[in-house]
Order: sequence, then C-alpha cells, then structure tokens
Amino acid sequence: MTKKYRYIGKPSRRKDAVDIVTGKAKYINDIKLPGMLTGKVLRSPFPHAIIRRINTERAEKLKGVRAILTHRDVPDWKMGIPPHLRVLDRKVRYVGDAVALIAAESEEVALEALDLIDVEFEQLEPVYDVEDAIKDGAPQLYDEFPNNLIPLGNPWFGSKNAPEGLKELITGDVEKGFREADAVVEATVRYENIPNSLPLEPPGAIARWEDPKTVHVWLTSQGPYMDRISLYYIMRREFNVIVHATQCGGSYGTKGTVLPIAIYAILLARASGRPVKLCYSKEEQLTAFTLRLGSRLRAKVGIKRDGTVTAISGEWFVNTGYYSAVTQGQVAVGLGEAQLAVRCDNWDLRPKIVCTNRNNSGWTRGFGGQELKSALLPILYRAMAKVDIDPVDFFKKNIVKEGDGYYWRDGNWWISRVIDFTKAIDRGAEVFGWKKKWKGWLKPTSIDGSKRTGIGVGVHSNADIGEDDAEAFVRIDPDFTATLHVAVSEQGGGQRSNLCKMVAEVLQIPPDNIFISPPDSNINPYEFGLVGSRGTYAIGSAVIEAAENAKKQLFELAGKKLDTAPENLETSDGVIYVRDQPERNITWRRAMGPTRTIMGYGRYEPDYSLCNFMMTFVEVEVDMDTDLVELKRIVNATDVGRIIDPPSLENQLNGCLGSAGIDSAVFEETILDNKTGRIINCNLIDYKWRLFQDLPEIKNVVLETPFPTPVFGAVGVGEISTAPGPPAVMMAISNAIGKWFFSYPATPDRVLETMNSPGDN
Amino acid sequence: MRPFRYFNAKTVGEAVELLGRYQEKARIIAGGTDLIPSLKNDIFPEYPEVIINIKTVRGLDYIKEDDEGLRIGPLTTLDRIAKSPLIRNGYRIISEASESVGSPQIRRMGTIGGNLCQDVRCWYYRYPHHAGGRMVCILKGGRKCYAVAGDSRYHSVFGHYNGCIAVNPSDMAVALLALDARARIAGSDGTKVVGMEDFFRSPNRNLAPDEILTDIIIPHISENAKQKFIKFRLRSSIDFSIAGVGIVTEIDNEICRNPRIVLGSVAPVPVRAKSGEEILDGSKIEEVAGEVSEASVSDAKPLKGNSYKIRIIKTLVKRALFSLSRDAQN
Repeated sequence: MTKKYRYIGKPSRRKDAVDIVTGKAKYINDIKLPGMLTGKVLRSPFPHAIIRRINTERAEKLKGVRAILTHRDVPDWKMGIPPHLRVLDRKVRYVGDAVALIAAESEEVALEALDLIDVEFEQLEPVYDVEDAIKDGAPQLYDEFPNNLIPLGNPWFGSKNAPEGLKELITGDVEKGFREADAVVEATVRYENIPNSLPLEPPGAIARWEDPKTVHVWLTSQGPYMDRISLYYIMRREFNVIVHATQCGGSYGTKGTVLPIAIYAILLARASGRPVKLCYSKEEQLTAFTLRLGSRLRAKVGIKRDGTVTAISGEWFVNTGYYSAVTQGQVAVGLGEAQLAVRCDNWDLRPKIVCTNRNNSGWTRGFGGQELKSALLPILYRAMAKVDIDPVDFFKKNIVKEGDGYYWRDGNWWISRVIDFTKAIDRGAEVFGWKKKWKGWLKPTSIDGSKRTGIGVGVHSNADIGEDDAEAFVRIDPDFTATLHVAVSEQGGGQRSNLCKMVAEVLQIPPDNIFISPPDSNINPYEFGLVGSRGTYAIGSAVIEAAENAKKQLFELAGKKLDTAPENLETSDGVIYVRDQPERNITWRRAMGPTRTIMGYGRYEPDYSLCNFMMTFVEVEVDMDTDLVELKRIVNATDVGRIIDPPSLENQLNGCLGSAGIDSAVFEETILDNKTGRIINCNLIDYKWRLFQDLPEIKNVVLETPFPTPVFGAVGVGEISTAPGPPAVMMAISNAIGKWFFSYPATPDRVLETMNSPGDN
Repeated sequence: MRPFRYFNAKTVGEAVELLGRYQEKARIIAGGTDLIPSLKNDIFPEYPEVIINIKTVRGLDYIKEDDEGLRIGPLTTLDRIAKSPLIRNGYRIISEASESVGSPQIRRMGTIGGNLCQDVRCWYYRYPHHAGGRMVCILKGGRKCYAVAGDSRYHSVFGHYNGCIAVNPSDMAVALLALDARARIAGSDGTKVVGMEDFFRSPNRNLAPDEILTDIIIPHISENAKQKFIKFRLRSSIDFSIAGVGIVTEIDNEICRNPRIVLGSVAPVPVRAKSGEEILDGSKIEEVAGEVSEASVSDAKPLKGNSYKIRIIKTLVKRALFSLSRDAQN
C-alpha cells in the first residue's frame, strides 16, 4: 500500500508567499545598489543593415551620461551555439538589434542620450521565411553560416557516442514502412506564429565589479550556477563571475537566454566604474527578447488500420530568428519527444535550423517538443482519419511503454523504465466524456444555431525530467534546523519551498525548520536550473541524497552516544531514538554538541529512461457567422507518480493556457510585419493573452502511480502542461467546422480563409 | 517618460486659456488611460511640453436629465456611466457600450470625454520609440500609411482619411451617434454645440488645439424606441472592437421608424449605414434583416487583410436587429 508521508502530498504554505503578497519580495527592479546607473540599449530601426558610421559625441556631452559603448568599444566575446552572437556588431540583423549601450544617472537621461547618437546605416535586404532564407542568393545573416543554416548539434548535450548530441532522427527503413502502410498522408503544417511566453516580469540584470577580475551579477535567472558557467565561457574564462538570482517573476524557459543582457550590464559597469542596472521594458520583452521557435514540418506518415504508425519522414524547418541560443538542443529534445508520443520503427526526420531577420526564437517551455508536436500531430490526425481510428485509442496504443527504445538528446539509445500511462488516458477520457462527445473525424459534437462544438486531444511526454547534473548540500544545525544549499531560483512554481519540504520529510522536522540559502552561484554547489520539469526528479534526487547523507552523519554521532549502530536509529522532531525502543533517545543538540554542524552532500547524474506525460482534451465552440473560436473546456490528464504539493501542481497544470501554450492555437501570436520587419503587436492589448475573466473550465486529472525514482516515486510535469494543447485545438476546430484547419492561431480571418478554400482543407 | 510641465486647470476657461497658449505643444489629461502609454512609448515626433490636467475642473462630472435630454459630463467615468440606473433604464445602449470598454480598472479611470477624444490604436502609429524608433506615418505628418502595405487586420474597411486607414476606436461614439447626441465644445472663440456626426471628422484629432469638450447632450428618445450595442472582439475581458454596431429605432407594431444604424471601428470615423437605414425604415425586421445587413456594408472597400470584418459586421447588424425585435415583442 502507499507509504504514509508526513509532509509530502499535503499542501503547505510557500516560504515566499507573505513576501510576495506584501511586496517585500525583491525582484530585479527592486534592487538598488549605491551609485547605481541605469543602462539602456539603442536599437536598430532596420531588419538588416551595416552600420557605416556611428557618432556618440553629442550623447557623450549630455549631463549625466557615464558610459556609451558601440561595436568599436566592446570585446569580441560571442554567445550562442556555436558562438556567433557578438555583444555589439557592425551589422544589425533585426529591428531591435543592439546598436549601442548607454549608462546614465537616470532613465530619463539615458533615453534622451539614445536619441543623440548619430548612426548611418546601409540597409541590406532582409529575409524572414525559412525556405526563402536557405535558397542560394538569399540575404546572408552571418558569413559563417552559408544559406543561413546554423549547424546542428550541441556540445553541452553531447555524450561519448555522440559528442554533439542528437542531430536528426533516422531509424529503420521508411520506404519499407510506407509500403506496409494502409494509408499514407503527406502535408505541410506551420506552427510559426512565434508566441511570446511573456513572463510577467521582463528580464533584467545588474552588474557590479568588485575588482578588475571579479564581477557580481544580479539576474532574473532560472539557473544561477549555470549562468555563471555560461558567462565565464563567454568572457573567455578570464573573469570570476558571481551570479545572484533575484526573485524571478516567471520565466517559462525564456530567462535561460538572459545572458546578453547580463553582458550589457557587465560591460557598462566596467566602462563607467559604477554598478549598472539594465532592465527591459515590456515593449522590449515583446520585440527583443525570446520567442517560441518557428516550426514548419513537411512530412509523410504511413499508418495501418490498427493505428500502427509504419513510417514518418520529413523535413523540419526551424526558424530561430537572428541567432541560436540553444536551438540545437531544442531540436534534439523535440526529436526525442516525438518518439515518446508515437511509437514508430521507421523514422527519417531531418531538421534544419535557419536564421532570419527577426527577433530571436529559443528557450521556451515545451523546448522544441511543443513546436515539433504542434506541426506533427495535425499530420498524424489526417492519417488517423484515413483509417478512421479514434485518436484516444491511437494515443493509448502509441504512447511510450516500458521497454520501448528511443534516441534522446545525448544521441544515446535509451530503454524506457516508465509506468503505464494508459490508465491516465482512460481516466482523462472518462472525466472529459470523450466517448459520448466523439462523433468521428470532421464531425461536430453538436450544432446550435450558428454555434458548432468540436473536440480534440493531444499528447506530450518528456524525458528531460532526469536531465543534467544536480548537486545540493544539506546542513544540519544543533538547533533543530537544517539549511538547504542549492542553486535554485524561485521563478514562480514554488520549487524552493517544495525542495525544503523534501528535506523536512527526510529529517522529520517541520518545513518551517528548514531554511534555504540565497540562490547564488557563490555559496551553492553546481546546479543546472529549473528547466524541463527536472526540478522534482533531478534536483529532488540530489537534495534527498544530501539530506540522507546529513542524517547518516547525525546518526553516526548519535549511535556512539546511544551505544547502538546508526542503522537502528530513527529521528522525529529533533529527537533521535532507537527503533523499537523509543525510550532510548537523544536530541540533535546533545548528539551533535552545540559547536558542530553537519554537512550532507548529494549529487544526481542524468537519466533519460524515465519520462513524464500529459494529455489534453479540449472542447471549442466556433461561431460560423463570425468565425470566432472560443475555448470552452479543458481536461488535462497526467500521472506524476507522487504529488509533492497539490496547489503547486494544480497551478502548473492550470498554466497550460498562457505562456505560449494552448492559446498559441487560439489567439496568441507575435505579429511580424514583413514590410518593415517590426513586431507590431508589442503591447499587452494587441498581444492577445488570456485574462482571468476569459478562463475556460479546466479540470486536472492527476494519478499517482509511483515511478522508480528516489523522490518518493515522483516526477515533475510542470513544463509540459502547455505542449499537448495547441494541436488538440486544431483538431477540435476541424471537427467543429467539418474541414481540416491547421492555421495557428485560430483568429476569425484564418477560420474564414479555411472555410472559403476549396476541398476539405 | 520625458519631462514635461504640468498644470492643474481649475476651470474650463483656464484650460482653454492654457490650450490657447501652448497649442500643439499641450495635451489634456483626464483619466490618462490613453495618453500615458503613448507618452511612455514616446510615439509622437514632438513630445508634449505641457500636460494640462482637467480632473481638477469642477462641474464636468455628472449624469442628469433635463429639458434638453440626458446630459453627461465629459469627466464622468465609464464605470459610473455603466452603473447608472438612469442610463440603464432609459438609454441602455450607452450602458452596453460603456461596460464593454477596457477593463474594470480602465473604466474606473477612463472618462467618456477621453473615450470620444482618444487616439487611434493603429499598431504602426503606436510603435514604441525605444524598440527601434517611432514610426512617423501619414497621420503623424509622414509620407506613408504603413498599414496599407502591411498588416491591416484591425484597420478600416471603409476607405481612408487623408491616406490613413486607422479606425476611430471609440465604442461610446457608436452609442452616442445612434442616439443622435450632440457635444458642447469650449474654445478661445466661445462655445458651440455640434452633432456627433459632425464631431468626428478624423480618426483621432476632432477638437481644435484650443478646444475642450464640456458637455454631452442626448436628446430624449421616444417611448417605443429600441436600442442595442454589440461589440465584436477576441477577448471579452479586455479588447478594442474589431467591429461595433449600435442601432436605435422606433418600433411600432413591428414596423421600424427613424432607424439609426452606426458602425464603429471599421472606418476612420464612426459611420452611419444609411442605405441599411433606408431599407429598415418602414419595414419589419424579420422581413428585411438580411437585406439591411448586406446594405450596411455595400460601400465597404475591404483590404486583403481585413475582409473578414465584412461578415462580422453583417452578423452584428443582424444580431442587433433581432435583439431589437425580441425586445419589442416583450
């Protein structure tokens, strides 16, 4: 039977809750250092141009200006994979690209100074479309990337067998697979509306040089230790960088790409000799910070009548905008995740990463998988319709099972140790009422006047829950408290509190007695960051091991005083006692003495044999007289092994809509004007995102079938709650209107265009 | 934001005097929900040197009925208007329009005068200066309208104003025009009263630099008048109209008389669908609704990017008409 836990699985108050609601929590813009200047970026008005001349004299004369940097003044440090993004370049590659940096005594002075910099541009022709960009003769963004193709492969994700990780997905024999198929479907689907996951807090950085070799950086970071390593490499391994993560007002992955902003602040602080804060405005977050990848898939799918997928082949065009932060890694993870959702022996999926003259696409939750899935599932839906199989039955058959093999991002072939997800599928379908509402492909569930209802379903699964190394220390103090040292920032999900709860469970003292160190890279051991739902399994494993290790040391001390072997001991509420003889006991304080601390260490190393799971059922209503699509109902179904904190999980699952999630199929999009290269909907009215009043009914079905993990059988799931929904919405609309609709997002103009087009598509 | 001088006007006269002195260099602020974001984004080629606060002017915040009709002071907040029983009972179309504007927070700050005098929402016009430079489009004195060749999904389907295809976004204008309301305006040369149809001449600047709106007058409406406002938008929580329709008509034994059909957010100014009105006048809604809706867009000249609005306008006209008809039967 299920083990009884004292804290795990029960709601507990977040440690930062009171600080957040009373305004005490320090976000980056709340931090003020003595003598701090304000930094600003002069941005390019052109999508593609050479800076012929730049004159800063007038700006320098303005009172209060303390530093101005142009491409002539900055070191040749490079960012991205492979390193190619210069801090400031002679060439600008999108509207908003950095032309110059300014530090001034106030924001007003900095803004005024920006207008006093005289720049002469030579405009170049821009290119925005992935397939135009790779043609011979197309405008070239970088000399080192002919045809705008950025090389595949990510050395950070590599392994012994594949030093650059997974670059393409090729298994079996697709031609043989297509011959065995009962139906073959070919289509091109574009998930190219490049939504912005738009965390409430825009990104920002503060830099302060302590001495010529040491710089402190305060950062809206989702992984302070990893940012420290990245900055160290960007700065040619010549400086000691100490990263302090601030209370992070949401990230959704994007703040993994905050590094260029950190570099701006670091260089302005060095040039001015003063601390510099550089925070993006909401408009800059919308025009010059990370978007979701553009994904276009031209693919062919073979299917048998029983739902067996015999072959998938295709070309995957990934639009990364003006540079690639970690797009190669996203492509690798996306290819891996496709295999978890669709069992298929014959794959030939070849990606191309293309740079274009627009703001960058990159690190965003769903991390390549949502982008590939949102283009691939619609093609699979057409194949399912050809053999007339119910999509729920299809996914039950095709979701990854224990013993299945797949290539993961490291290029290795992994055999799954996963639990049975079909239970969650069945339960989700039951709660949604799938069987009653499913009327067949391209058939509405109901019609009421001009309103038609349709249903859809999508699925996602990710083995990144066990990605990358994690380390933690747990320090036990004799005053019945413990302190967790881990480089995990708080980005809104409550993970810092939940990691403390895990320590509380191991040490059997209340979570209020567990403290957590500030999230910086100086006092904490290595940690990759809160990404890919790895907070629970990867980080949790290191934290639990550190707590167990500390407890073991405590029991060794206590064992000597109680004259028994440490294995015979238990602890509860600061008292150590002999199992079966609780009257033989000793307090922590007496066991340790007042002048001792115990430090436990835990380390986790990557494991890609486990994955999480999410299925999303949606119901939409289409008004056939106005072409308006409304999302009415959502049921998310998952199995997380063990719930650590019910409200945290509920919030993560309810987060399925926004942050470039399901609503990227409904109305969220970044609108790039192809005539000027500008992102024109760069305000919170024209960037359509859902407000509380617009919420549909959401139900979350969460099963708890223990996984083989040391974290009480739990795995994380938060990252992927956005991923299965977008294609599900496309299916639901197609069923409602009786025609295939695969046009993201489903605004009235797009629905009408499909209705007016000939045939069933 | 950049620095500017700030005046608190105590009277209409003082506000007019300040406007006369600073002319184009001055802007009026009331609720500020429209002005502040445009100042923060630094969208104007000439940054205002002077901001004149009129919230300090007494006596411009009222809802009352007198011999002239219903009178609304321009400083009355949209929230107060939406909640006014007097308006809900007699002039429901105004309640419907005001409660559709913005969000609760915006309605508590924003005023009816500000709603009528607001600037355009065109995303080229509003492009923030610090994200690559403001766009000096034809409405700002530049040479071209970026929306014509660019993305016009929210722009006019009824032609342009001096080359600009931005729409006037006011929802209140639709209701007031349908009610044949008038505006009282104070300026250096004294006060004048103009009909709402004459008030709206351009997408954004409808007052002379030295003028302010001082009163809104809605004539008494007949006992058997029925009224309806419908707004189409992507989010019901907060959004400007993609299209708005306001209809006021007398209905007598199912026969419509003196109808006024107004379309909002689809043209440089709110427009009356006069050919639709002609068909409706003297007819039964059930018999002519389709024809009226078709006629309402017969003059439309949609662009490639916004032709979807035509179906929406037609549907809104039909839905508003059927709502009036149901209303008349009850």
